[in-house]
Amino acid sequence: MKKKRNVKSVMMRVTVIVLVALLLFWFDFPLFWMFLSSFKAPQEIYTLPPVFLFEPTLANYSEMIFRRGVLRFFSNSLLTAGISTLIALALGSLAGYALARGRFPGKKDIAFWMITTRMAPIAVVLLPFFLIFLSLHILYTLPALIIAYISFNLPFATWLLWGFFETVPSEIEEAGLCDGCSKFEVFRRIALPLVTPGLATTGILCFMFAWNDYMFASVFTSQQTATLPVIASSYMAGHRAVPWGQVTATGSFLFIPVLIGGILIRRYLVTGLTMGAIK
Amino acid sequence: MGKRKIPVEGWMLLPTIAILAALSIYPFVYLIRMSFMEFSLIPDQPSRFIGGRNWLEMIKDSKVFYSWMVTLRYYFISLALQMLLGTVIALLIYQVKALQGIVLIIAAPLFLAPVLVGLLWRLLLDPSYGIYFYWMNHLGMFDFLQKLGFSEVRSIFGSTSLALPAVITINSWQWTPLIVMIVLAGLMTIPPQLIEAACIDGAGSWQRLRFIVIPLLKSTLVVALLIRTMDLIRFFTVIFVTTGGGPADVTKILAIRIHENAFRFYKLGYASVLGLTLLGVTIVLGMVFVRAISRR
Repeated sequence: MKKKRNVKSVMMRVTVIVLVALLLFWFDFPLFWMFLSSFKAPQEIYTLPPVFLFEPTLANYSEMIFRRGVLRFFSNSLLTAGISTLIALALGSLAGYALARGRFPGKKDIAFWMITTRMAPIAVVLLPFFLIFLSLHILYTLPALIIAYISFNLPFATWLLWGFFETVPSEIEEAGLCDGCSKFEVFRRIALPLVTPGLATTGILCFMFAWNDYMFASVFTSQQTATLPVIASSYMAGHRAVPWGQVTATGSFLFIPVLIGGILIRRYLVTGLTMGAIK
Repeated sequence: MGKRKIPVEGWMLLPTIAILAALSIYPFVYLIRMSFMEFSLIPDQPSRFIGGRNWLEMIKDSKVFYSWMVTLRYYFISLALQMLLGTVIALLIYQVKALQGIVLIIAAPLFLAPVLVGLLWRLLLDPSYGIYFYWMNHLGMFDFLQKLGFSEVRSIFGSTSLALPAVITINSWQWTPLIVMIVLAGLMTIPPQLIEAACIDGAGSWQRLRFIVIPLLKSTLVVALLIRTMDLIRFFTVIFVTTGGGPADVTKILAIRIHENAFRFYKLGYASVLGLTLLGVTIVLGMVFVRAISRR
């Protein structure tokens, strides 16, 4: 009797281990392969059967940084993602707080409007933006891209921070009011510090959406103003062999910062990615 | 009382409302105007109003209907696959508590830029040196498909029968982990006493799942479904960099057709008409979403 149960639990354990191995393999092998390829010399990328053991080289990274002048595109990426995130956080926290504390009609309509702004298909948003930027003579400049990123990061930040502010009990703020603070001071001195995790989550996700964007950047930037995702795909152009080493090196370079950001906010990741629908 | 004072909240909300009006209402009106125009590539020749001709063209264009069919197929299969797999994986992790540490590890694809997702899978599936193509070939998958009557597979993204399954698989590779995380978050809210009580009453594990866990997860699953639907409609980058809508239009979802009309053929007016129909669907879904989570 006892032995039978042991056999069963061992079987269960083996099944679970196999399943976990399968899961890890399926979801993480492509990423592992990206890293591995970024350290390969060209001939090792084209080898069949594919090789796992080879002498790693940093040539792809140095080529990417020194020869292709990627630092410029890196700064384009950093500027557009960073500035749009800061603006979204600053204005979104004000608006989110107003929505959480204010009692006024039309709140639901504002919420609905914001969610559709954030949901709008990128293929559709590109069309009017393209012509508007053209007529304002800012097409192919960084400000155009920043404006495009604000168009989705600001509603996202407002919506998400609204949810975070609602978790702050208003009694704490009322205590602040008694001490003779203005409403804005209550917001800045009491409410804002209390939603620090919310600000971090919102900021990291806003940055990620802009940093990872390809469609807006590929339409709204030129060779000088291109961002890293555009550069990564530009390696594919032309008829020569694809320099996969540099594609994967650029990919790893893009991936690592957002992965670290994601790990930092792991507790609120689901809340953020579902726009606060799941706590 | 002369005029009413604007409360502080109004001032706090004002900048965001003003900016969003400029970035969403104005472009929307602009888009409607574009849909009645024809744009010219020649600088001297101005764009002109052509009335409802773009709209008429769309109705007559059988390719648009075909694209909607591809779009729906792409959405439905992706959603079904991700919801099912995600829920099963989440239940497994929930059952075996020691596994909770792997959630973030399997969620890593979420953070990879969509354009890199496309490029990376092009590397993996390349017919001459891609490791996945190599493995699939050695496992006899392509021989098997040929025995089933499919034509010889020379490249996955170039195959009319495999291109759509491939882009659906890639999308699911990146996004199933999100469903896992959402469902796990939902499972955590189920009070353990409820499950214990069912155990005492003699409910087997299938009955507990069927009559307690699944019904309690319903609202969570609805949110997961809506979130994924929204993103499926919004993004098209992976298809854009892998198949570009081909071969023979089998992966040409509407978003790809809009982009192609606008930025390859420069038929911006016609693209706007297609865009407005897609936006219409988005707005309806937005209403459903807001209603589904109307916790506020």
